[in-house]
Amino acid sequence: MKLCVRQICFLFAAILPVTRLLVYPATLTFWAKNDLLFSAALSFLLEGTAVASVLFAASRTQKTLFQLLEENFGTLAARAVYLLFALFFAFSAFLPILEQRGFVLQVFYENVPSFLSFLPFFLVSLFACTKGLRSIGRAADLALPVFVLCFGILFLMAVTEGDYTALLPLFSAGTDILRGGAFGLPWYAGGAYMLFFLGNFRYEKGAAGKIMLAYAAGAAAVLAFLAAFYAIFSDIALLQQNAVAHLSKYATAFTSLGRIDLFFVFALTLVLLFALCIPLQLSVHCICAAFSCKTTLPALAVNALLLVLTLLFNQSYLEIQTLITQKLWIVFAVFAVLLPYVSVFLRRKEKKMLPKGEKYERT
Amino acid sequence: MSARKIPLRLAVFGAALLLLLFFSNDFGLIDIQKTSIVTAVAIDAGEEGIDVTVQIAVPKSGSTAASNVTVKNAATMMDAIAELNLKTGWYPTLVHCRLILLGEEAAKDNVFDHIDYFLRSQFVEDTCLVALCRGRAEKALSAQSPVGDMTYAAIEKVLSSEAQQTGLVSVNILREFSKGYFGAGESSFLPLLTVREGAETGGSDAGSGDANAGGSGGAGSSGGKAVFEASETALFLRGKQVATLGAEETLAFNLADTDTDLAYGNVTVTERGEPVIYSLKMRIGKKLLKVRAEGEIPVLCFSIRARAQVADVNRAGSAHEVAQSSIVPESVLRAAEETFRARLSDAFSKAKESGCDLFGVCASLQRFYPKLWKKLGKEALALTKPVYDIQFDTMH
Amino acid sequence: MEKKKNSTAFTGGAEENAKLLKDLLPAQDILVYRFATADAKPCAAVFTDGITDKQLLGELAARPLSLAPAPKTREEAEQMLLFPELRRADDAQTAAKEVLSGNPALFIDGVTGAIILGTKKVTLRAVMEPQTSITVKGPREGFIEDVKTNMSLVRRRLITPDLRFEMLTLGKRSGTAVCIAYLHGIADERLVQRICEKLKRVETDGISDSSYVAQFLSSAPASPFKQVGTTEKPDVLCAKMLEGRVGILCDGSPIALTLPYMMSEDFQSAQDYFVSPARATVNRILRLFAVLVAIFLPALYVAAQLFRLQLLPFGLLMTVSGGIQGIPLSPSLEIFFLLLVLEILIEASVRMPKYVALALSVIGALVLGDTAVKAGLVSSPAIIIIALSGISAYTVPDLTGTLSLVRLAYIVAAGSIGTYGIVLLTGFLLYYLICADEWGVPLLAPFSPLVPHDLRDSLYKADIWALNERPNVFRPKNRVRLRKKETT
Repeated sequence: MKLCVRQICFLFAAILPVTRLLVYPATLTFWAKNDLLFSAALSFLLEGTAVASVLFAASRTQKTLFQLLEENFGTLAARAVYLLFALFFAFSAFLPILEQRGFVLQVFYENVPSFLSFLPFFLVSLFACTKGLRSIGRAADLALPVFVLCFGILFLMAVTEGDYTALLPLFSAGTDILRGGAFGLPWYAGGAYMLFFLGNFRYEKGAAGKIMLAYAAGAAAVLAFLAAFYAIFSDIALLQQNAVAHLSKYATAFTSLGRIDLFFVFALTLVLLFALCIPLQLSVHCICAAFSCKTTLPALAVNALLLVLTLLFNQSYLEIQTLITQKLWIVFAVFAVLLPYVSVFLRRKEKKMLPKGEKYERT
Repeated sequence: MSARKIPLRLAVFGAALLLLLFFSNDFGLIDIQKTSIVTAVAIDAGEEGIDVTVQIAVPKSGSTAASNVTVKNAATMMDAIAELNLKTGWYPTLVHCRLILLGEEAAKDNVFDHIDYFLRSQFVEDTCLVALCRGRAEKALSAQSPVGDMTYAAIEKVLSSEAQQTGLVSVNILREFSKGYFGAGESSFLPLLTVREGAETGGSDAGSGDANAGGSGGAGSSGGKAVFEASETALFLRGKQVATLGAEETLAFNLADTDTDLAYGNVTVTERGEPVIYSLKMRIGKKLLKVRAEGEIPVLCFSIRARAQVADVNRAGSAHEVAQSSIVPESVLRAAEETFRARLSDAFSKAKESGCDLFGVCASLQRFYPKLWKKLGKEALALTKPVYDIQFDTMH
Repeated sequence: MEKKKNSTAFTGGAEENAKLLKDLLPAQDILVYRFATADAKPCAAVFTDGITDKQLLGELAARPLSLAPAPKTREEAEQMLLFPELRRADDAQTAAKEVLSGNPALFIDGVTGAIILGTKKVTLRAVMEPQTSITVKGPREGFIEDVKTNMSLVRRRLITPDLRFEMLTLGKRSGTAVCIAYLHGIADERLVQRICEKLKRVETDGISDSSYVAQFLSSAPASPFKQVGTTEKPDVLCAKMLEGRVGILCDGSPIALTLPYMMSEDFQSAQDYFVSPARATVNRILRLFAVLVAIFLPALYVAAQLFRLQLLPFGLLMTVSGGIQGIPLSPSLEIFFLLLVLEILIEASVRMPKYVALALSVIGALVLGDTAVKAGLVSSPAIIIIALSGISAYTVPDLTGTLSLVRLAYIVAAGSIGTYGIVLLTGFLLYYLICADEWGVPLLAPFSPLVPHDLRDSLYKADIWALNERPNVFRPKNRVRLRKKETT
């Protein structure tokens, strides 16, 4: 069953932005300080062009990446690439999992909780991984209203609290802006996601515009969030890990109700859960496509691998973050930015475009 | 085992594990029954280390009482909290901590030696109020409120946003205090709390870990009633108290730079050769604090537009005068402008002399004149020239 | 099979045929009524006592035959008999089925085979308002246990040749009539086909109720979530059929099934269509809110006390903290056991006679509630939370059973891993629900997958003119259901 354009739009507008609301703002602040918006915009630009190039490829073929690779380089090469991407997706999920672990243990609990508290996540992701790509699309359908409502309320509660002159002077960070953009790439794997939606969604006329518009909306939401974040915290922004949990607590309108913002943060965590499952689901998808097997065993393998890694590096978030963002960002640049660009050059046959407004099979 | 059933079986296993956790209910969690809810923390300089007093809310039928517990000579805040846990057997939670009170002695060293604990911990809200206290903070936290509130609640009312809006107090929360400390000027301010009249202690003076029921609202307190006042403002540079603004200067500072929009102030005018005091109710229409550069000199422009109304005069007025309270005589308006200009000038001078960037000159330069800021650096404040543009108008 | 059929074929005279049939049906309640025609030819009617209208048999079969000479052929006999419903049976097997259904088999000497007389008489309760879906405004008729009556109730509301009934017989021993009702030209006939095929593949002894059929039609019968819609009201069934759904009526059950099913249906009530759209929308949102309260409130209360005190505002925290002082159970176990007590009370009050149930609720409310609080066994806030949750669950009666289970799961998740457990369980359930679409329509439609057109009759109820098209989610053949006529 194929995804539809709307669901991909929702994915870019609602699910992926949430992943950038935890540690990412503080990380950006560390590098780019008050110029964090430029670093983020740079990353968005790179990811956006990657998404756009895959959309360009999608407008000319209905084939999946596997079929395209098969046609161009043969089955063996296609399988090899898929396996590499399977590894990449599993790897790209590692940092967000550790990030979410930290977020959960700090925001959901008041005392130091047992690490066991986070582990049931793998049961959910295992279940999601067995459900295939269509669950990504359907989850996106649910995620959008949750995101719009919760993010909207949290943002409104925060937006008036900040001093936006803190973002000045512009470009004072100099080359650190580029560094922030590059080191932020582990949070921008959307181009690689799009690559695997190729052929798994029905391209209709105007789809590229819609998806890019949705992408821009998601990017705007994140940039607005980052602006409010730095405006509120400025010199102590660096201390604010899990930014989304802190941003809206200063609103006094609901003081008598206590930390009402936490309920919206919890609801956003649900979207975050969907977001965290996507790379794992795609990893399973790649393995299944490479070996033409069912999802159960790959799902078990991928989740078990990440469970073991999470257990091993439970206490080493900072080291892992440093390693991935500062050393291994190049892996993300290759898989999530460069390879999507390359997809444009894969040989393909022309396809017949479906007219605008034609209804497709529901997904 | 067929592959299809593996997730199902894993889910069953997970559910069984959850049930085990649920029913065992003994996996290190600290629930409400084992937690003491700390509402305020007082930090004083001890002989060796710090003395930390916490006010714990104790639920009683239909009301809430308070109990103060003191830990003496702790090396760090964390140590003090751990000792509290050890001595009382209750795990102190700071999520509902609304007030951090610093003792006068503690502010002679960098207060961030101790209060950065609250920034490190994710479990403390940086929305809590921070105040400096004349004398020992522990004593202030043990004083009994005349209206029967818990002490922290009484102090919280004095430091409320409503008080801030009327310009009587310069309120600060942990986040803003920290931003100032870590900011370009390394400066900040805190309200200076004074316990007035009969504020005898009812709390603990005992040694480490002693827990006494005391403070306000607590039973068995032997102390008298106390009122809290926070009309003064302590100025901080690099975490140390460097100067104090008096009540009038605090009001002027609030009129110029904080959320104050409705204030009361006295103006003395000479009428028929005699000094007459006018109490004015002032509604701030516009306030603007702007830094500009004149050559290489930073200029801080205070621009305030306010409307005033006569609230009272210390001489009996005629019926006509009383009826026209909303119309302020021109001479009184000009005198008000001059008075507040002088007080603002005093506040600025005091801050400048102490090196405290109270009005955010450094931050403004850094943001709007980065080159000048780079050049002047910390000298910027000393070179700053103030310009006052204060205009009062009658309310009607 | 053919051989077996031949061995039970009616070949002899009336007496022999009746004996053959009686031998096949040795039960004591199968009786043989013997009489003769005017020219003394023997006749016999084999019937089941209790479900056959004997008076009708006498008046419309025995009397005309006894007053006239014996007919020579079956056609002639059928003309003499005054029944509107007559069938033929040439072998004992077929006749036996009819006899067991209440229709006597009549044998006349010299006439080949049996004539089946439609004199079935079943004691039925009257058509009345169903207890589970009471409306203040709107039709009050409810289905009863007789499939024929139920079909007639549907037919009365849909007077169109497009109304089709597909009859199936399920149950090797019960021989239960199951009727699949749909509107030709609106419903997806491939769906009807699939339902028929799936039911035909079922080989079972008997079917006591339509819920058996619902389970046969579910891909995951063990799931706590419904996969087939239900209604007791013919007006609701007809409205659903007009939207493109297929109805399934089962003999012996007053509950009709509908397919495809979406969870949003349960948030709709018949009355929503009889009041203003604004009121209906508010009601639906209230129901959703109540369901959320029913599920999440106890879980959040537990999670807040165990893991995140900050979820409770300070004043409330003090109240709760004061309330739980001295309670011997941990917060999670307290809520768990209170919920257990609630479920026991509900179960008992459903089973008990009406008047005892009243007393039981008083005992439950006063003794177990008030006294338990006074005795310090449970806290007042916990009682309030559970009561609120329990009451809220009944705003959507069709989901109450599911909600009870889900609520319990949430309490366990919250008690074990706190608020994150609530989030994880929600994620798990959502992944489950968004992928559950056995009949081509996902349970969470029209929200996931999003069908914007259908949102206008989901949580939000648009005005009648905006509902001029059938829901897209059912892929109806004929989409328009309302349009304004051109006036001249």
